[in-house]
Amino acid sequence: MKLVASCKVNKQGVFLNSELITGTQTSEPNWTKELYTKSGKEYPKFYKMDALAKLAFLAFSFFEGNLNTEKFADDDITLLFANSSSSKTTDLKYIQSYTEKGSPSPSLFVYTLPNILTGELSILNKWYGENIFFIEEKFDPEFYLEQINFYFSKGAKAVLAGWVESNDSNEECILFFIENNGDKITKEELTNLYKS
Amino acid sequence: MSDLRETLKEQIIEQLNLEDLTPADITNEGPLFGDDGLGLDSIDALEFIVLLESNYDIKIADPSEGKEIFQSVESLATYIEKNR
Repeated sequence: MKLVASCKVNKQGVFLNSELITGTQTSEPNWTKELYTKSGKEYPKFYKMDALAKLAFLAFSFFEGNLNTEKFADDDITLLFANSSSSKTTDLKYIQSYTEKGSPSPSLFVYTLPNILTGELSILNKWYGENIFFIEEKFDPEFYLEQINFYFSKGAKAVLAGWVESNDSNEECILFFIENNGDKITKEELTNLYKS
Repeated sequence: MSDLRETLKEQIIEQLNLEDLTPADITNEGPLFGDDGLGLDSIDALEFIVLLESNYDIKIADPSEGKEIFQSVESLATYIEKNR
């Protein structure tokens, strides 16, 4: 397997292959809007997304130009995502909508599952491959490698993997795109991606 | 009249959780639904129904009317002015 590119998004900015390519200046919580503007994308649905989907959309927007995904069939790419907080931030907002604001919010309800973001990316790219979202205690490179090997053994040509977190203490997304070309990736490489 | 439209923009942002938008980002005449507008969809139409009921005590008897009523801030405001 070959690591084609990685992209990390957090309050500091966007890191493409571990290099800072654009920073943020606005104070929270508007830093995602600043990065959306800088991405040059015109995708109004961004404003509707919950924090997890926004982070994944932003990270993908900044590194899709490095991926050459056009060479793959629309079901060749598997989406493999994980985090530790699931959709907790949106879950709490949804609870607040009916306990404090009078009625359950349909637009919040649709984001009370973390894997909605895999649907957002699939719709955006018109991809029809496998997608899955795991809840893990922490970023575990061995887990990712096991899963990537599994999907390659089932015929996937590439995997778009990600760790997307939104909770009280952390908002970040790390995406990495891996192709099945016979090489090997070590868990240290993935660990470095996460820490860099 | 314009106050209602500005109030509606604030209520739309609040009701639909469009936290990154400000009222200045929403025009009176621009489409609310679809990729040419705010990217809203059928789920958000439910939010508009809740917004009208909770803020203006207006119930939409015929859901098929929604497409026309929710077309823009202007159409929403016009409907409210006629029915409240």
